[in-house]
Amino acid sequence: MEGNSCSSIQLAFQMGEALLANGSEIFRAQETMEIVAASFNVEEFNTYVLTNGIFVNGVENGIEYRTKIKHIKTVKIHIGRISALNQLSREICEGRCSIEEAFERIEKIKELPYVKLITALLCCGVASASTCIIFGGSLMDAAATSICGFFLEFLLYLFDKSKTSGYFTYLISSSIVSTLGILLFAAGLGNDLDKIIIGSIIRLVPGYALTTSIRDFLNRDFLSGTIRMIDAFLLGGCIGMGIGVVIKIFSMILGGVFLI
Amino acid sequence: MNLLLIIHLMLQLFAAFLCSSMFSIILHTPLKQCKFAGISGTAGWFVYSICINHGLSNTVAPFFATMALTWLCRIFSFVRKEPITSFLLTSIFPIVPGAGIYYTGYYFFMGQDNICAAKALETIKIAIAIALGIGIVLSLPKFLFTLKRVK
Repeated sequence: MEGNSCSSIQLAFQMGEALLANGSEIFRAQETMEIVAASFNVEEFNTYVLTNGIFVNGVENGIEYRTKIKHIKTVKIHIGRISALNQLSREICEGRCSIEEAFERIEKIKELPYVKLITALLCCGVASASTCIIFGGSLMDAAATSICGFFLEFLLYLFDKSKTSGYFTYLISSSIVSTLGILLFAAGLGNDLDKIIIGSIIRLVPGYALTTSIRDFLNRDFLSGTIRMIDAFLLGGCIGMGIGVVIKIFSMILGGVFLI
Repeated sequence: MNLLLIIHLMLQLFAAFLCSSMFSIILHTPLKQCKFAGISGTAGWFVYSICINHGLSNTVAPFFATMALTWLCRIFSFVRKEPITSFLLTSIFPIVPGAGIYYTGYYFFMGQDNICAAKALETIKIAIAIALGIGIVLSLPKFLFTLKRVK
């Protein structure tokens, strides 16, 4: 496809790919691609979007583009990029943006920075603590949870840098964080271990993915919904297993004090 | 007694605000939009607490809470000219059945099959309730959210 890098099908494809890779919903990616293609008068444009892949077929200036397939392996949610892509598609739709310009903008959007590490650490600490309070923990529980949350985000950063595979990351980081939670609890900080652990791992737990999978089912994207649901339950299993192992070990050493 | 309840509710609402807005920072939302995610998250949790206090089950309460917060999110998305995902994704964090998934995995591993099945069923029910709440509000006509008719 090198020779056609300025075609509008290519543009629509890249936008859909960027949207999906940054965690947008299926129907948003599909709609955006169709809108972009329609506003550049592509004669024929068909697309099928899945949670982890895009298929495109189209006719432009009499040339037929057979099939373009892209497999998207890892999704890393970046709402800033989704929002910027949305803005871009709105401008394209109003005719305020040429194809060349749009390609440059996409490249810029893909370079949008991530949040600074220290900000993310602090935010994760606070968010975990407040989740603990929402679930009914006391302020002391929240204090313990915030330490765990802070530590968890750092672990995730390390795993992300070393490109460890997803399930392994979840297994290991949940067990390390629950160990930390148990140690803090044993040291006397907090009085409800269950609440501390839930608060600490809320950053990992795929609740939103599960909800999105049901939303996909309601939109009749059955395949995408199934993919997401299996992923969510596997991740949940990994987290549960990581924590279960740690709690079993601790209760073997210390007698069943820590069993939830 | 009453005062204590109110203080407790205030603390929880503040926690819900922090939870939603902090998670939206972690997920790289533009900083200007984070407080709006926080506000709709708080509204969602407020409705949820009221529903639970009035004796609704923990699958019906998320449904109403999600409808309320999605309504707010749609208004924000029209006012701020942002995709609704920016607000919706993080403002349902307090309600989403994340803990349920974890419990399912935990009891699955611990070999307590009865609790595992019960938790899995509850998780799915809550997820369906939330998805229905979002779906219903998203399919309502636009003029309910643009605020342009009220002049």
